[in-house]
Amino acid sequence: MSEEITQVKIGQPVPDFELAVYEPENHGFGKRSLADIKKEGKWTILFFYPADFTFV
Amino acid sequence: MAALAEQQDRFAKMGAELITVSTDTEFVHLAWKRDEKELADVKYAMGADPTGNLSRLFGVYDENTGLALRGAFIISPEGVLFNSEVNFYNMGRNIDELMRKFKANLYLSRKAKEGSDEGCPSKWKDEGDKTLRPGPEMVGRVHEALQD
Repeated sequence: MSEEITQVKIGQPVPDFELAVYEPENHGFGKRSLADIKKEGKWTILFFYPADFTFV
Repeated sequence: MAALAEQQDRFAKMGAELITVSTDTEFVHLAWKRDEKELADVKYAMGADPTGNLSRLFGVYDENTGLALRGAFIISPEGVLFNSEVNFYNMGRNIDELMRKFKANLYLSRKAKEGSDEGCPSKWKDEGDKTLRPGPEMVGRVHEALQD
């Protein structure tokens, strides 16, 4: 990592991010960005978990 | 994840984009989704964070293992972080509670736009349940206000 990542705090704006995703609905790959979701007027719910192929 | 899939349509209908995230790649997500019957109904996007940078941004990255802890975060359409819940590896999250918090956010953001500063107390479950409005009459009288 070239720069420190500052953890976002409750009540504070989340910096824009983009991530690669697998989309089960169309069985393909795509991207999701916070900016795009905001543009659609939608809420974002992120759900982190340790690893695929384990219990979640 | 299966528990989340059970409520994914409700979250979507209410205006949420649900994304699960681990430090696996999207290719591994595909393979897992294809193999694991528990994930048969999953429609939500499965996000890849192989660098751990998104996990770091939300404080769930474990530098010792390279894995993300079980964190759930709700971000408003304006991009503000409103809720976080983080559990250790060995405990799952309650999706009903995630839904309750999401519903409360929707309710409160609508009320805020109408100029109301009311809040949802701990026992708030759904619209119509008791809310509290901060003010001088509330000072030392929260118990009475909750009984009204």
